[in-house]
Amino acid sequence: MPLSEKPRQTSAAGPAEGRAAADAAATAEAPGVLSGVRPTGPVRTDADRPGPGRPRTGRNRPAVLRRLRRNALPLTLLAPAAAVLALVLGYPLVRVVVISFQDYGLRALFTGRISWAGWANYRAVLEDAQLVPVLLRTAGFCAALVAGTLLIGLAVAMMMGRLGRRMRTAVTFVLIAAWAVPNVASSLVWQWLFQPVYGVVNWLLTRTHLFGDLTQRDWSGSTLSAFLLVWLLVVWQSVPFVALTLHAGLSQIPRPYYEAAALDGAGPWTVFRVITLPFLRPILGLVTILSVIWDFNVFTQLWILTRGGPNQTTTTLPIWSFTKAFSSNSFGQGAAIAVVSVLLLLAATALYVRRLVRSGEDL
Amino acid sequence: MSVPFPARARRIGLNAAAVLFCAVWIFPVYWMVNTAFKPYGDILKPTPGFLPFPFSLANFSDAVHKSGFLTDLANSAVVTCSVVLLAIVVAFLAATALTRFHFFGRRSFLVGVLIVQMVPQPALLIPIFLSLKSAHMLNSLFGLTLTYLALVLPFTVWVLRGFLQGIPVELEEAAMVDGASRVRIIRTILLPLVLPGVIATSVFAFITAWNDYVFAYVLMKDQSHYTLPVWLVSFSTSAGTDYGGLIAASTLFALPVVVFFMLIQRRLVAGMTAGAVKD
Repeated sequence: MPLSEKPRQTSAAGPAEGRAAADAAATAEAPGVLSGVRPTGPVRTDADRPGPGRPRTGRNRPAVLRRLRRNALPLTLLAPAAAVLALVLGYPLVRVVVISFQDYGLRALFTGRISWAGWANYRAVLEDAQLVPVLLRTAGFCAALVAGTLLIGLAVAMMMGRLGRRMRTAVTFVLIAAWAVPNVASSLVWQWLFQPVYGVVNWLLTRTHLFGDLTQRDWSGSTLSAFLLVWLLVVWQSVPFVALTLHAGLSQIPRPYYEAAALDGAGPWTVFRVITLPFLRPILGLVTILSVIWDFNVFTQLWILTRGGPNQTTTTLPIWSFTKAFSSNSFGQGAAIAVVSVLLLLAATALYVRRLVRSGEDL
Repeated sequence: MSVPFPARARRIGLNAAAVLFCAVWIFPVYWMVNTAFKPYGDILKPTPGFLPFPFSLANFSDAVHKSGFLTDLANSAVVTCSVVLLAIVVAFLAATALTRFHFFGRRSFLVGVLIVQMVPQPALLIPIFLSLKSAHMLNSLFGLTLTYLALVLPFTVWVLRGFLQGIPVELEEAAMVDGASRVRIIRTILLPLVLPGVIATSVFAFITAWNDYVFAYVLMKDQSHYTLPVWLVSFSTSAGTDYGGLIAASTLFALPVVVFFMLIQRRLVAGMTAGAVKD
């Protein structure tokens, strides 16, 4: 770092966008908006707060100007992130809701003339004979994935804690290798592993003589085996994160608790229930909620391996929304399905979301 | 050394379970590498060979010379590098603002970041596609870069914020007493100390941009603008029988990510859960 270079001061003054953002932010954050608990008054001014965040402001300036000046630097720093997020996440989020109320088909796509559709898209989706099977499928598949991932992940995590150092390193290595393979690559490898005639899995299964001759078996040919195929893939990919995270959580439980339990003659199940589980609860909750979100939205693997088939019997909500929009060119209905999915996911994770918003209290 | 029998039996059982788990879990990766290095004629055999012997690089040269591979590899590289660089700069600035200053809108921004992280990507697909279409930015690598940047930012801001919080304010105060400006403090004190966090988040940005299939599939219309994942999938459907080339290309595609993961494996878990679990 060249010492001769004079540090620039310009950004402290704050360019125009910082100022605009300051105004917007000032109106956006009404006191108590987050919790409804906090009483009135401007939220935590930093005048009484020590630290480098406290800018030196002129003593006799008007209050508004002083506040702007005080907020100019942080808001300038924040501006690029806020702009990108607003443009590419915020705006589409609003727009997907808008589109779900529009008649957005091929014609709209090419002429740009868009008419309002009212609730027609939602009505069409609700009356679609596909709806109930798709919902059940999505929920069932998601539950099976979450259950499989968590059970295997927890078992592996507990196993890792009891292994010797070298064996544990090997397991970690294997987990990271499986985790690192990109979705698309692993989906293609899966296709190859389970390929009829030349796939090694069919060959191995046939060699066990348990299921008869499976060499010709086409796994994506029937609904259940297609789901099993994708289930195996997604679980294979998701266990590493769960196992490594839970292992990290487990290794933070203080040893003396286990020693005390051993002295008291507690069995392994009691130890698990009384010591391990309570300590692990926060991290287990986090891992569960993340798994629910990820597994609900599984798209790439399903799309590559089954395309929602055979006969659309492995079509889940994300696939349904996608095909409605991009294959049938009914963007309105696709958007309506997307909105319904988000609402369902929000409902399923409502408690967690509430905790998140609450945690905004002491951020 | 004599170990009591039940304990020894338990340890043997445990190790056996670990070995079995490793064998099953590594198998797909092993099979990918094994297939990629086999000579062409050995791949489509009714009895699979478990070692790539004789050893051959033919599949790799086959894949690399397939039309579009190099172009789409370049596309992937350009988009990924841009996303990583932009994400680090933008997220670092934002994280500095969020940890070192108290200002109006700070908390709403943080909560907004948390919530937006929960929005499923498939739901964003339709509006982003239509918006980029009306902005005439379909098929544009810049549009794709911007999309990835937005997908990556909530997480990167959150993690970098976690790292910045861990750096004691006293350091900066000392610098301030010595007369350093705030910009100078950011550059000479915060940035070097937060480097591990920068590495962790850049890996995340790298993986998101490098691995994504859905957005590139929808937003990029012709092969000269594909990224590598889209090329791979189109390759598999158009010429589904050449598994040697396909698996070799997949191996090349997976390689940078695997190397990255191995390099940062210690920080992987810490980075993923930073900020998500409060301590």
